Amino acid sequence: MSSADWLQQLGRFFPALNEQNCQTTSPVDERYNCIAWAADDTEKWWWPDPLEQQYWPQEVPRESSLLAFQLMFQHLGYSSQSDDSLEPNKPKVAIFVDPNQVPTHAARQLPNGNWTSKLGRQNDIEHELVAIEGPAYGKVAIILAKVSNQNAL
Amino acid sequence: MSTKHPTLVRVPSIVAGTLLSVVPLAASSHAIQLENQVADVRAYLESAPSNKRNRRRQRFLALANKWREDTKWLSSTNEIAMHPAYQAIIGMGQEAIPMIIEDLRKNSGHWYWALKAIAQEDPVHRSERGSINCMKQAWLRWAEQKGILNDVVG
Repeated sequence: MSSADWLQQLGRFFPALNEQNCQTTSPVDERYNCIAWAADDTEKWWWPDPLEQQYWPQEVPRESSLLAFQLMFQHLGYSSQSDDSLEPNKPKVAIFVDPNQVPTHAARQLPNGNWTSKLGRQNDIEHELVAIEGPAYGKVAIILAKVSNQNAL
Repeated sequence: MSTKHPTLVRVPSIVAGTLLSVVPLAASSHAIQLENQVADVRAYLESAPSNKRNRRRQRFLALANKWREDTKWLSSTNEIAMHPAYQAIIGMGQEAIPMIIEDLRKNSGHWYWALKAIAQEDPVHRSERGSINCMKQAWLRWAEQKGILNDVVG
């Protein structure tokens, strides 16, 4: 599938994505999702589903709330609220929510200032942060930064 | 094999049974007509169970394809599992399990919520939560132990 075809397929879900603000960086892989990818894990699917089928850190409330997702990333060391700017030695993650403030997605900032996301069961992409806002993932709710030399909680 | 519904299929089974018994004795054109009708009834009765299975299977495949397409960009297991097509498959109950296992074996897929909901069992060890390949193997082993995988492969 060409890049143009791929983007056209995505258009319904991510209307702001285009060849200038996005590129694929991996093959399709259903073993991990965006939360895992943001947490640097490519072996598991992370989600606090109520039937407890997916991975979720035991130390964090198992619920689909923004607070639970914040606590989960805080558990990984992302404890400081931040913005989308590039700051040296400050890895960042962004949490997306739907109109009901329910988390839908997470992205991680790359050293070049762009962001990387795993799109569901599909590919990883490198993109501008807000380029994936839209009907599928809603909007960015919060950006968290990992502070250097900080121990995970 | 023709699977058209003959008129006689709606008559009580005892009547159909009577027809079956009288046909070999008859030689008139009326009897030949009856014989043809009985053959239709027999063919329909013989094919009905497999037709029902095929219809169930076609429905399952249509729902599974719709679910896969609509949810492929989603990360939220809650959203993926609450998709109407996925819920419809759960609503098929126990009869969906062999089809889910077959699909899981061939295509993988996030069938774990549905399997746990329908089977009311969970063969996945806590330490394997979220490990898609381990979960798949655990459910396939479960299906093999239950004889479901053999049915699917056979």
